[in-house]
Amino acid sequence: MDPQIVVDALYYGGAYALIALGMTVIYQPTRIVNFAQGEAFVLGAAVGFQVVGLWQGSWAVAILATLGAAALLGVVMERLIMVPVRRSGSKYAWLVATLAVALILESVFALTYPEGYLSPAALIPGDLVIGSVMIAWQKILVIVAAVVIMLAYDQFLRRTPYGRAVRATSFASGTALLMGIPVKRVILLSFVIGSVVTSLAGLLAAPVFYISAAGGLLFTIKGFIAAVIGGVGSPSGALLGGLIVGTLDVLVPHVFGGSNGNFYVFGALVLILVLFPRGLVGRAVAASR
Amino acid sequence: MTTFWQRYYRARPWALRALVVAVLALLVLWPFIIDFYSYNARYYVGDVVGFAMITAILTISLNLCMGYGGLLSLMHTGLQLAGGYAVAAMAVRLGLSPWWGLVVAIVVGAVLAAATLLVSLRATYLYFALITLAANLLIMEVGRSSEWLGSDIGISNIPLPSVFGRDLSRASLADVSIFYWIVLGTLVLVWILQRNLVRSGVGRAAMAVRESPETAAALGIAPVRTKALLFAIAGGVAGLAGALYAMQKGFINPAVGALDNGLIFFVGLLIGGIATLEGPILGVAAVAAIDFVIRDYGPYRVLILGAVLLLTLLLVPRGIVGSWRGSRWGRPVLDDSGEAVRSSAVPDVVPRLEAAPGTVALAGIGLRKYFGGVKAVDGVDLEVLAGTVHGIIGPNGSGKSTTVSCLTGFLRLDGGRVEVFSRPAPTSAQAISRAGVTRVFQVPHLFEQVSVLDNVLTGMRSRERASWVESVLRLPRHRSEDRTHREEALELLAFAGLASRAQWPADALSHGQKRLLEVVRAVATRPRVLILDEPATGLTQDELAGLRALVTALRERGLAVVLIEHNVEFVMGLCERITVLDSGRVIAEGTPAEVRDDPAVLEAYLGAEPEGAS
Repeated sequence: MDPQIVVDALYYGGAYALIALGMTVIYQPTRIVNFAQGEAFVLGAAVGFQVVGLWQGSWAVAILATLGAAALLGVVMERLIMVPVRRSGSKYAWLVATLAVALILESVFALTYPEGYLSPAALIPGDLVIGSVMIAWQKILVIVAAVVIMLAYDQFLRRTPYGRAVRATSFASGTALLMGIPVKRVILLSFVIGSVVTSLAGLLAAPVFYISAAGGLLFTIKGFIAAVIGGVGSPSGALLGGLIVGTLDVLVPHVFGGSNGNFYVFGALVLILVLFPRGLVGRAVAASR
Repeated sequence: MTTFWQRYYRARPWALRALVVAVLALLVLWPFIIDFYSYNARYYVGDVVGFAMITAILTISLNLCMGYGGLLSLMHTGLQLAGGYAVAAMAVRLGLSPWWGLVVAIVVGAVLAAATLLVSLRATYLYFALITLAANLLIMEVGRSSEWLGSDIGISNIPLPSVFGRDLSRASLADVSIFYWIVLGTLVLVWILQRNLVRSGVGRAAMAVRESPETAAALGIAPVRTKALLFAIAGGVAGLAGALYAMQKGFINPAVGALDNGLIFFVGLLIGGIATLEGPILGVAAVAAIDFVIRDYGPYRVLILGAVLLLTLLLVPRGIVGSWRGSRWGRPVLDDSGEAVRSSAVPDVVPRLEAAPGTVALAGIGLRKYFGGVKAVDGVDLEVLAGTVHGIIGPNGSGKSTTVSCLTGFLRLDGGRVEVFSRPAPTSAQAISRAGVTRVFQVPHLFEQVSVLDNVLTGMRSRERASWVESVLRLPRHRSEDRTHREEALELLAFAGLASRAQWPADALSHGQKRLLEVVRAVATRPRVLILDEPATGLTQDELAGLRALVTALRERGLAVVLIEHNVEFVMGLCERITVLDSGRVIAEGTPAEVRDDPAVLEAYLGAEPEGAS
């Protein structure tokens, strides 16, 4: 098999995994699947495009700017989503709230960047050459970033007091509140972390991914699929789910030939879900409130 | 003296009815009205109002599965696409009448929905949503990769149907209006379908499965069949909407199935009020109106739509219907005049068993249930005679509730067998309930959001003989059955002293009334064996008397009642025989007097007697 395909599967997988991780981070304390998550991915790409592409700035500035912008986006998303959800008694309010935020952000990006694709120059240009195989450094960077961020978040959950608070809140938010855990602040923090994680993925993937300014929903769907396959609410599941979706995306069209590719991808998805109705690394998922 | 509000509440039903008639008249006359005011009447008839009505039909379908069935479907745009393909293939590719396309579209929608549900049996909530999403993408992909369906370009020049031999043309206002009226008629029919379905046993069964599959099974309702039926009906309606969509637009292509196009359905449903009959129509009307107002803002349209959405969610968080019902103007009027009076006559709906004395109604033989290393039930033998009340007591953790779950099929046995009237019991919980063994759970399992009466009627679901088609069409068999069941339910409620609360939502009852209602609901299934798991907990003396009267009445009718209880006085006073469990084993069995003096029982409850003491 062409090693290029393996690498492609891995870096697609890495990017999807980080979108899925962002969704998982937000899902854990809130039981909300954020359908605006793909917009954070686009935000990262947009900042990179703006700083590195249009302003010819350095990547260091782009990374810092992404961190700031993503944190801000997290706060904004938390306000725009959680306030209506808390006020509404409906079981499905989250769906409309997150879709509405997705619509708003999507059109803001589309209006700001009417050119369409957001692709800045690579952070590490050039290729890694092993014999006859050439692998873009940027792709390797995405893979490494995905693994590092995943491990870091896992350690954060296990080792820090805030991580314990997040886990307690995700297990039983009412009881967590009674134990003195500031649940609302934990939720705000989760939105910020979720947004930052996904935006970083968008920033790093932008030079090698085709990220369209109005394409957030597509990435949301990929991330959602990855998160659910992995079992919503588990970071390692997000990584596994991301890799599976990435592999299917890259491998299946290659094996079965172009036009029918997606057909098998979605067929495989259904098969996985039918065989593992709770996700691969999952526990049972309760309905949101 | 009547106050303003009393007069208002009396007049409200009539005012609302008049409003509905007025709106319907406006819709029927719309083509004439708009033709008078606008040069572009065809656009306002077909593309604006007609199109919104098609959207409303699809939103009703979504309301059926998401609102009433609790099934989060992300495949509704796909079903719409499939319905569109069906009509396009029939009319354009095969040259048949678009009317046939309409029929095929309904079948295709129903089959696709049922198939999706059946492959995702074990998946719940988000996983179900994801499978429907994948199904949606698959449907789009089939269209994209099929030359016959026009690949990416799709199929255009889909004709309007012909009416009485007249081929409708899109260029003529009269013809567009005729199609508009067809759509309006379909919308009204689909709305009636929704109303009749929701108010029938199918709707109550779906509600029960949505709220708690476990409780539904205990009442003899099969969760899978209920979900499959509801989702298939919703799928058929969605296919129908898709066919109308394709006829209205004149084309169909894979992009129609994209999830983004489905936003308006979710949004309309939530804004209108999910799981309400009027919600989908009001919500779609609101969204269509907003969309119409901002149609000229080009690229800012999506932005405005999103902002308006969020704002609506903030201002009317429970949807238009929910906010209306929550306000003083719209709140439902409940009759709270009657006092809780218990009628003394035992209603006829309580089954009468003519079993010979000493007939074994329910038997567990060598029941075993292990959780890992914990032997929760370790070889329990139990015989419950018809016409008796049989108590099961034991310290906490002795395996009482686990025994009940084993007897009623909620837990798979690790050993032993269960017999109902000397026949081997079925394995699934709902089949055991249908065989006549009904349980009441230890913690309340009421359907809190629906009325007390509807809770009891849900218990009668497994006895309904009319099919869903009869219910939707309100045929004689459904109507007579519905009437009888309502009367029976009211008699039962009167016997339990709850008749004056029949129209209240169940969560407005006190704790004791809720427990009584649960027993009443279980009796409504006409069981031969009734198992009550700690029914007396937290009841007042008066409510205890009511419960005692109910249990006594059941015993006199020849039923077997199994009573698991901590209230020793209650158990000793009611039961003919008592089985005492400890650590998953039977330690004593006999009459209340025998059990009371049994040394093993005293030891289990009070600890071993110290040596030397006397």
